Amino acid sequence: MNQNNTALHSDQAPYYLPLADEVDVFQAAYVSRLPILLKGPTGCGKTRFVEHMSWHLDNARTASERPEVPLLTVSCHEDLTATDMVGRYLLKGDETVWSDGPLTRAVRTGAICYLDEVVEARKDTTVLIHSLTDHRRILPIDKTGELLDAHPDFLLVISYNPGYQSVLKDLKPSTRQRFVSLEFDYPDVATETQIIQHESGVEANTAERLAVIGERVRNLKQHGFEEGVSTRLLIYTGELIAAGIAPRRAATASIISAISDDASVQQAVADIVDVILP
Amino acid sequence: MSEAVTAESMKQNLEQTDEPVVVLADVESALTLFAEGIAGRYLHIRSSQEFASNPRLQLNAADSGQNSDTLFLPESVTSSDASAYRVLVMEQIGLRECDTLGFRMETALTQLPDLATRHQPDANAGPRTGDYRLLFDSFSLPALAEDLFLLFEETRIQAHLQRSYPGLIKHMRIHHAHLLTSPRPLDLLSRAKRWRMGEALSLADGPCEQTLNEALQNHSKHALSVYDSAEALCRQYDAVLAYYATEDGDYREAEESLVDWLNREQRAEEWEEELEDINEQLSQSMATEIPTGQEEEAVYGEAGDGSQRQIDLEIKEIKEERDILKRRVDMERSAVAHALGKAQGDARSFRYDEWDYLNHHYLRAWCRVFEQPLATDGDDDIAPLKAVIRAYQNTVQRQLEQIRPTGLERIRRVQDGDELDLNAVIEARQDIRAGQSPNERVYSRKERVQRDVSAIFLVDLSASTDDPILPPEPKDWSNYEEDEADTRAGWYASFDDIEEEQEEPGRKIIDLEREAMVVMAAALEALGDSYGIYGFSGYSKDNVELYIAKEPDDGFSQATLKSIAAMTPKGSTRMGPAIRHAAQKLMNTGSAMKVLMVISDGFPQDCDYGPVRGNHDYGVEDTAKALQESQQKGIETFCMTVDKSGHDYLKRMCPDERYMIIEEMEDLPDQLTKVYTALTGK
Repeated sequence: MNQNNTALHSDQAPYYLPLADEVDVFQAAYVSRLPILLKGPTGCGKTRFVEHMSWHLDNARTASERPEVPLLTVSCHEDLTATDMVGRYLLKGDETVWSDGPLTRAVRTGAICYLDEVVEARKDTTVLIHSLTDHRRILPIDKTGELLDAHPDFLLVISYNPGYQSVLKDLKPSTRQRFVSLEFDYPDVATETQIIQHESGVEANTAERLAVIGERVRNLKQHGFEEGVSTRLLIYTGELIAAGIAPRRAATASIISAISDDASVQQAVADIVDVILP
Repeated sequence: MSEAVTAESMKQNLEQTDEPVVVLADVESALTLFAEGIAGRYLHIRSSQEFASNPRLQLNAADSGQNSDTLFLPESVTSSDASAYRVLVMEQIGLRECDTLGFRMETALTQLPDLATRHQPDANAGPRTGDYRLLFDSFSLPALAEDLFLLFEETRIQAHLQRSYPGLIKHMRIHHAHLLTSPRPLDLLSRAKRWRMGEALSLADGPCEQTLNEALQNHSKHALSVYDSAEALCRQYDAVLAYYATEDGDYREAEESLVDWLNREQRAEEWEEELEDINEQLSQSMATEIPTGQEEEAVYGEAGDGSQRQIDLEIKEIKEERDILKRRVDMERSAVAHALGKAQGDARSFRYDEWDYLNHHYLRAWCRVFEQPLATDGDDDIAPLKAVIRAYQNTVQRQLEQIRPTGLERIRRVQDGDELDLNAVIEARQDIRAGQSPNERVYSRKERVQRDVSAIFLVDLSASTDDPILPPEPKDWSNYEEDEADTRAGWYASFDDIEEEQEEPGRKIIDLEREAMVVMAAALEALGDSYGIYGFSGYSKDNVELYIAKEPDDGFSQATLKSIAAMTPKGSTRMGPAIRHAAQKLMNTGSAMKVLMVISDGFPQDCDYGPVRGNHDYGVEDTAKALQESQQKGIETFCMTVDKSGHDYLKRMCPDERYMIIEEMEDLPDQLTKVYTALTGK
């Protein structure tokens, strides 16, 4: 199960540079515990945004109100079933023991549950989402016969990427309409420069070159790689450069090889990188 | 095989001179992507030879050029790697990035007093005269002015490219170093071009060379806009003119120039935007000022008070302005198309090899396929197609049910799953009790059993598909007309004709092809297979057209039906490149099973498909080769034809079990699904 429980009781908020009013909308939605849907391409900062918001919300609480883990992230994949999210009986020694899944834990403790790439998961998971996202706010666990009322602080956040999922994997309108939706996209060159510079620690000039590479390579979106190069990849490149790898080598390792297997696309991306880097 | 020089033979020729050569065809696909990435929009990359079809402007085969959607590059360059092509592409893109084509004489005259004194308004110049023509004609030797201007402008573009794309500098240096190996020219401007490429002044150079060289260096550092280049032209012109006057005195004649036409092309686009603005303004003022229905009356202003008439007059003026502009845009558009070639709209283009069976070798990058969506703005009626779907639904459904996938299946004994597999758990317990290490695969999970099939249907849209379907049994009509004509009165007869036509429209081959496609589409949609539908036609090797009715990734929708309805008979049937392109698309889907079905109405033919126009052997052999290539790539191919004499050539094109001749044309939709079931249901 791809699940990571980010411990976010740290002192510093995870870095996030707002592109529009997404921070305000998120906070307003949280007041009424409205579930939130984040739409946008891979690596544009959706997960970071949730971490950032989660830190701020958690920071505003008193120590006693804080859940053990403020944010539970589940990366959904096509074999992820409702069982993986709710929990299952595990074999422990001679007996079977019930073990809560991430969703159940979040519902019990009042954490934010973030389902990344939710349409990738199997259809039975959306049934769980439905009862949690309307006025009922309940989670039925059929295997234990439990009907769990959500903690008042519980919030469900899902993300999905309308770009590359096939039509078959689109979110159903009945699901989509339960969420306040926030759209994300890659930032413009100036903003992205700032982000790359902050995250990777490279100097402004290099960061700007990397941002330009991002902009140009994204023009090739439809060809073999639907996503373009993500901000995350550009930051990785920056980190390699900051660690002393030559810019060209860093770009080859983290951008060119990473985004496509198609030889001519790779060639084109390599050529673009080649003319843009000094 | 023809008078044109093939890329292959060109390569061979050049290879004999022992210099490394890069051929455009080898790098074209990566170069197209590169250009699209840098420019932010799709640009066709074509060989400069392909520019030759434009009657008005000429482009040297060794030069590069462009129009609104195409970059023309030399078919080959002598260089050891493809970076030379990237330099050429960047130089062309730089022309747009530097806004060279945005030059307007009006602005230049207000900004440059020096130019204003030189410029004599020409009585012959109309509103459509190009801005660059006006600029160059302001000088005594327009051709000299043009060369000098381009020298400065190219310097400015090069400086821009070096600033924005630092990685390009080293490729430029290599490319330029190569260009500089050619013998040193004698005249001033040709030499000045080489300074831009890094050649130093020689000792023999006099003050004239030195001033120009200095001006160029200065220009490369400081010039910001195209008007700076125009200013430099004004400043340097007299000295350069004096130089040429002392030399030979003869400078080449002014002729139509590419930069002028490109500038006009861009200006036409601006005019079009202007036209749209006017139209919008017009519709707004009409909507607010005049109640609908009175428009006609109001414009002529026979009645009504003065204020209304004022508005009417304004509207009338705007309308006149619009009509003048519209006429001008239309004329300019056709002139530009004549000079620079037709714009290809939102098409993408690809080149494919062709098999020359006479010489037993492939002609490298011989055919250009333009892939474009079908125009669906027409009001093609989709109601009949919907009716067709309904009519065939039951039979087709029944056939396809045989291959319907089974859905979810429970997989047992896996490491991870939603339920425990009790048998496995018991065995594991037994093992533990017995002191052995247990098998950890104790879960079970449900998995979807998926069909992984991609299909492409290639539909022949040649002109002959416009032919009516012949009635199966020709009747003897000899007496019919007389009898009917005698017994009916004239008016009724004509009335009846119309009605008859509506009841029994002359059905054509294309109608059947369309019907077969919608039936297939509806069926495959139910089955869940990914499928694409394309029509193909074209005329000549450089213009094979592939029309997209449906891409494999698109969903089946109203738009798909509209596209299928928009399939109309077009030109020739060059099957080879269409099949190669479809095969390429199928390979890109990455599906386990790939099916290519070709539906045609006759043998492959085109105006230059083989050395002898009437002989179809060449086309048949090339198509056969294309089908073979597809099969070697693991694609199941199948040809269907409604041509009853199809056995003659189809048995040469594909094995017996890979083709079918539809005897009764009306059976096409039915047979098509049967074949598809048989092919994919294994």
